[in-house]
Amino acid sequence: MNAPFTIAASGPLTEFTAVSKWYGPVIALNDVTLHLGPGITGLVGPNGAGKSTLIKLLTGQLRPSLGRVRIRGLTAWSAAAKAWMGSCPDVDAFYDEMSGRAFVRIMARLHGFPARLAAERTEEVLGQVGMAERADRPLGSYSKGMRQRIKLAQALVHDPELLVLDEPLNGVDPIGRAELTVLFRQLAAGGKAILLSSHILEDMDTLADRIVFLSRGRILASGSLAEIRALLDDHPLKVRIGASRPRELAARLLRSELVLAAELAGDEVVVQVRRPKRFFASLAEIVIEESYDVERLQVIDASTQAVFDYLVNWNP
Amino acid sequence: MKTPAAYRSSLTGHIRGSAVLALVSLRRMVRSRQSVVCALLLVSAGLAAAAWSLRHAPVVQEFVSEVLLPVYVSFLLPMFSLCCATPSIAADREEQTLVYLLATPLPRPMVCVAKCAASLALAMAWTMATWAVLTWFAGPAGRAVFWPFCPVVFWSTVAYVGLFHLFSVALRRATVVALVYALFLETLLGNMPGIAKRVAISFYTECMILDAGAKLGLSPTVGREPELLLPVSGDVAWTVLCALGFLFFAAGVWRFSREEYA
Repeated sequence: MNAPFTIAASGPLTEFTAVSKWYGPVIALNDVTLHLGPGITGLVGPNGAGKSTLIKLLTGQLRPSLGRVRIRGLTAWSAAAKAWMGSCPDVDAFYDEMSGRAFVRIMARLHGFPARLAAERTEEVLGQVGMAERADRPLGSYSKGMRQRIKLAQALVHDPELLVLDEPLNGVDPIGRAELTVLFRQLAAGGKAILLSSHILEDMDTLADRIVFLSRGRILASGSLAEIRALLDDHPLKVRIGASRPRELAARLLRSELVLAAELAGDEVVVQVRRPKRFFASLAEIVIEESYDVERLQVIDASTQAVFDYLVNWNP
Repeated sequence: MKTPAAYRSSLTGHIRGSAVLALVSLRRMVRSRQSVVCALLLVSAGLAAAAWSLRHAPVVQEFVSEVLLPVYVSFLLPMFSLCCATPSIAADREEQTLVYLLATPLPRPMVCVAKCAASLALAMAWTMATWAVLTWFAGPAGRAVFWPFCPVVFWSTVAYVGLFHLFSVALRRATVVALVYALFLETLLGNMPGIAKRVAISFYTECMILDAGAKLGLSPTVGREPELLLPVSGDVAWTVLCALGFLFFAAGVWRFSREEYA
C-alpha cells in the first residue's frame, strides 16, 4: 500500500556542495563543501562560526543562498529528505504538559507510523536512551539531562540513517555522558552517520571519528584529529617525554634543529617541536644511540581544543 | 509488520501524520489559556443575552440591532476566531517547538493544513456554541434567528480564521497584530463612509445578516440603512467571505511552505 509512493532515495548520505548562506549582508556560511558518511563527525567552531547555520541547512530549516544540501540525493529542505534524518535540536523546548513517552510516540505518529508500530518504536528508543522507566512524568518536570535523552529518543524513533545532534550532552551528568557516548558509538558502529556539534571540545576527543573545524563560515579543516594534526606539520607541537637522565636528554634534544624549546618538569622533559613526523624519527634515533630509557611519550597539545586553537590562529 | 523504513515518505503515512498533528494541536488548544478566555466570553455572552431578554420585548429587530451586530458580530466572532487561529503556528514558533514539526517528513503544506484545520474546528465550535447560547438565552427573539443566521456565523468564522491563521504564519507578534485588527481596524473600517468599509470582513457578515434578515421581515437598523451602508447582496457577501477564507488559507499555506523558521 505504501510502496507506490515510497521514494527510493539514493546517492551519498549527505553532501554540501559549494553551500553559502547569508542573512542580508552577513555571510554565515561561505562556499562549504562537505560529505558526511557513517561514523561520528564532530562539528567544532567558535560562536558565529556558522555551526548552527550548517545544522539548520542540514535539517531543512533553512535553504542555502547558493549551492546544494542533499540527503540521499534529496534536497534537505524537502519533506522526503527528512525521513532519512533525525534531529536533536539545541533548543530546550517541548510540549511540557505531555509525558516523555507521549511526546516520542506522537513524533513517531507524525513520521507516519501506525499506532502499534509507533508504540513499539517508542518503547525501543526509550530503552535505548535509558528513559523507559521514567518517561511517564510530564516533560516540564524533567531535569535537563532527561530532556536531552527524550530529544534523542524522538530523533531516533524513525530509525534514521543520519542523526544531527546539536549539543546532545549539554546538561547531562557524567554517568549519563558515559552512557550516551556508548550509545552514540553503538549507533555509529551500526552504520549511522552522526553529525555532532558540541562546544565541549573534550567530547570530540573521545567521540568523533572525524572533525569538521568551522570558523567565520568556512571549513578550516576536516578529517580525523591525527590527520589534521599531521597537516599542521609546520606548527609547533608540545611533547612530554618521561625518560631517564632528563636533563641530559633535554640538552641533547636542544641540539636538534627540530626542537624549538625544552623545559624540565620534574622527571620529564617538555619539548616544543616542529615537523612532528621528522622529530619522532629523530627522537627514536637519539634514544637508541644514547640508550635513554623512555617510560612515557605524550603529545600534550594534539587535543581537539589545541588543534582548533592552531587552526583558528593559523596564518599560513 | 513493516519496518520504520517502509513508512518513509509514503502518502498514507503523510495523511496519518497530518491527522495526528491536527488532533494533537486541537487537544493542546482545548487545554490552553485561550480556551479559558473563550469559555469566559461564552458565559458572559449567555448572561448578557439573558439580561437583555429580561428588559426587552421579544422583538427580533431589537435583538439584531442591540445584541447580534454590536456584541456578536463586532466582538465575539472575531475574538473566538482570534483565540483559536492566532496561536496555530505562532505559539509553536514562540515556544520553539516548531523545530520538531519541521523535522518530520510531513510536507510543510500538510503541517499547515493540519494546524489550520484544528484551529477552524475549535473556532467553529466556540462561535457556534456561543451563537446557540446567545440566541437561546435571548428568548424567542433570539431563537427565531438561530437557524437562518447559522450560515452567516459559519462563513464569517471561516474568513476570520483564514485571516488570523495567515497572521500566525507570517508574523512574529501575530496575537498583538490580530487584536489590533479585530478591535480597532475592523470597527474603524466597518464604519467608514462609502465603499471603504468593503475591506472589512464584518461588512460582509452584516450584508449576509441583512439579506437573511430581509427574508425574515427584518429591516436595516438605525444608521445602517441601505443608502448609508451601501450593502452588497447576500450572495455577493457569501461569495466574498468564501473567497477570503480560501485566499487567506492558501496564502498561509504558501507562506508557511517557503518560510525559513530559524
